[in-house]
Amino acid sequence: MRREQIVLLWILVSLSVAGCTTDKSIARPFVAALTSDPGQLNSAITTNGGVHTAAGVLYDGLVELDDHLKPVPALATSWEIEQGGALYRFHLRHGVRWHDGKPFTAADVKFTFDSLLLKYHSRTRASLSSVLLRIDTLDPYTLEFHFKRPYAPLLQQLNVEEAPIMPQHVFQGVDPLRNPANNAPVGTGPYRFISYSPGSEIRFAANNDYFSGEPAIKNLSLRIIPDASTQVIAFEAGEVDWLYGVPGPERNRLRQDKRFRVVQYPGYSGGSNCVVTLGFNLDRPVFQDVRVRRAVAHATNRQQVLERVLFGEGRVADAPISSGIGFAHASDLQIPAFDTATAKTLLDQAGWRSGKPGDIRTAHHVKGIPEETPFVVGFTGMPGQTKYGDILRAQLRAVGLDLQVKPLESAVFAETVFKKRDFDTAIISYCNGTDPEIGVRRQYVSSNIGPVPFSNTAAYRNSEVDSLFDAASSALDTVTRKRLYHRIQEIAVRDQPYVWLVETLNTVAFKARCSGFSNSPHFVATAHCAN
Amino acid sequence: MQWFQQFAAFRCDSALRQLNSRFVVRRLLQVVPTAFGIVLIGFLLVHLAPGDPVAAVAGENGDAAYYAFMRHRFELDKPLPQQMATYFERVASGDMGTSYVHGRGSLSLVLERVPATLLLTGTALVLAIAMSIPLGAFAAGRPHGARDIGISAIVLTLYSAPAFWLAQLGILVVALKLGLVPVQGMTSAGSTQTGLARALDVAWHLALPALVLASQEMAAFVRLTRAGLIDELRRDHVRTARAKGLTERLVLFRHAMPRALLPVITVIGARIGQLIAGAVIIEIVFGWPGIGRLMLEAIQTRDTPLLLALFMTISFAVVLANFITDLAYGAFDPRIRVR
Repeated sequence: MRREQIVLLWILVSLSVAGCTTDKSIARPFVAALTSDPGQLNSAITTNGGVHTAAGVLYDGLVELDDHLKPVPALATSWEIEQGGALYRFHLRHGVRWHDGKPFTAADVKFTFDSLLLKYHSRTRASLSSVLLRIDTLDPYTLEFHFKRPYAPLLQQLNVEEAPIMPQHVFQGVDPLRNPANNAPVGTGPYRFISYSPGSEIRFAANNDYFSGEPAIKNLSLRIIPDASTQVIAFEAGEVDWLYGVPGPERNRLRQDKRFRVVQYPGYSGGSNCVVTLGFNLDRPVFQDVRVRRAVAHATNRQQVLERVLFGEGRVADAPISSGIGFAHASDLQIPAFDTATAKTLLDQAGWRSGKPGDIRTAHHVKGIPEETPFVVGFTGMPGQTKYGDILRAQLRAVGLDLQVKPLESAVFAETVFKKRDFDTAIISYCNGTDPEIGVRRQYVSSNIGPVPFSNTAAYRNSEVDSLFDAASSALDTVTRKRLYHRIQEIAVRDQPYVWLVETLNTVAFKARCSGFSNSPHFVATAHCAN
Repeated sequence: MQWFQQFAAFRCDSALRQLNSRFVVRRLLQVVPTAFGIVLIGFLLVHLAPGDPVAAVAGENGDAAYYAFMRHRFELDKPLPQQMATYFERVASGDMGTSYVHGRGSLSLVLERVPATLLLTGTALVLAIAMSIPLGAFAAGRPHGARDIGISAIVLTLYSAPAFWLAQLGILVVALKLGLVPVQGMTSAGSTQTGLARALDVAWHLALPALVLASQEMAAFVRLTRAGLIDELRRDHVRTARAKGLTERLVLFRHAMPRALLPVITVIGARIGQLIAGAVIIEIVFGWPGIGRLMLEAIQTRDTPLLLALFMTISFAVVLANFITDLAYGAFDPRIRVR
């Protein structure tokens, strides 16, 4: 027999034998597709989205957010707010055990904040470390958060994504960045860790001791599948039961298939209520004039952006704060509507004149710009966002402005835009979170200009806005906060440091025979599947 | 098969007899400065490239104090020459540094992913050679005939087709429509099998990605085999062999093929680097847990220690492949044997 015949035979035999052995007696786990390999599973020391998605089922926060993103009890069963919002007292759940059997107490919470979250969790550290005075444990099941001044949004920052609670006995005295437990984690969550094969799969089993009941789905496997199209095909082929995201063009196809269900929601916690925003670099002479910024806003057809980029799924932004934060969203603002005539008039007034229709406008007596300089500006974005640039380029071209799309991979984008500030306009998805203090403040206050990624992109400086944000974070009653945030949005619309384009939604897909999923990182813990 | 075993045994035996240890030692010594140069260039390239590992690894929305703190933790606040000195000191003592993202030793991270890539690329290489040499010989039978043109057209099409497209097409047709193989991964979800059952599970997952990768590698091998054979079959020693009354099979395999395959061997050695590069895309599309994907992730997160460990491992693999190519070359061609 010739070599090639042997090889061919070997392939055929192994294929057929392997095909026979796939019908296994052991039950297949519930499989969810992860896009990136998390590397490690300690979500208290990073805000990396991949880690939080992969490790969410292992841990709990003091509170949980319900489907309307309102805080509800989790590790804390009740709480009191005193001293006008400067003191929060939490009563913890009794009888909770870590996955290794040790009891959970207030000391774990204090340790997690002091040694992990306030040092390594970038969002929680940035928002709490400057206002938090100390954390006291009164007894094993009671603890108090003392603040320097009244602090309103705390309850929005204690869920499993912003503040997952870690076991003190595992982390005490070990460098948290190199603790082997990051790869063999111990939590209190609805699933416990079984194994982690890097680049391939993370396996979990239901925690039969879970305080809100043992999950109905007993085995969970997170498969790492980097390619989005492969994820969808694996989903259709039945290898995957849950997709955390579905590419736009595939959604309708999956929707029409009776085997599947496609659901959209505004996200969870810090990753929720995202507004895709175009930021002007206000340090550049070309964007000093508010008439130019407003002209760009008028030239932007956001309805078309919604239809072409998001396939109509989501919402045209009508205020600086997302409509998902109901109390703070200002619905009555006059933000510049799509109107090319007004855009052209404003540009003429600002000194950007066009020769004949269709030409690029050039400068005439514009401060800081040499005469006859054509209006050519860059549009900097991460690879996933440049589709916004392509459509904005076409829209702005219609009023004589030339936008040049410059895609940069994420690490370079963060450095170029926030550290070097070497850009004209940049596109960013600002996730507002569940409170303006979490995801809106960072976008406007002058203390947050560079070098920090996803901070105040525009370099917008307005001392009135700064003090309004401070006042709003200290005010406890919603009526006062609503008034303050409304004023902030009025000023923001007047100054137009950004163009607020569209509000995006998260899309998940799962088997129609399964139901009961939540929008939290515990997604599968409350679900069950019919056979 | 017997003829081939005799042939191989004879060739390797004589090659090894004639290879003195000085040749091997000299070739191995060349690896050391090469590896040093690779680490040096790699270190400088990674640090000169824009991008900040702290933002990528630690997360977004921190304040300036946070990023300064993390930079200090990763020892990125020191001047570059000092960072470089520390790094080389560590490498010399066998410590390739700790990955920023994984928080574990970067060399062990790389080594635990090497078998998957070796399995994928090795299988693809064997498949490509096993398919290419007979195809090349078949095409050489009648140069510019219908079968020659047909074979050339097919292998060149496979070579020119973008890897991700070919892979997606393979997944759609073979995995989704026909259901012959799984869509992605190296093992079945939640699989706890061991031994033969696990090997078969892996082979079942391996079949499609290896075939796609192999199909892209075939063009050069087929074309070279074909060209070499056409050339050889016209030569005097082949005519003599035929005149001696040898069977056409013996003439082909014993007299024409060894000399025709010399350029093929050279190309196989040179393709190892290409093969690993090609495997990156295949690993991404098929969710195969190899080092290609690890490298892409390390680049995206600017995970310098991990990236350098990968550079070292891959360069070492290429140097080793070249070394083996040289040995194999000597076995097939006595003229270039180094003394």
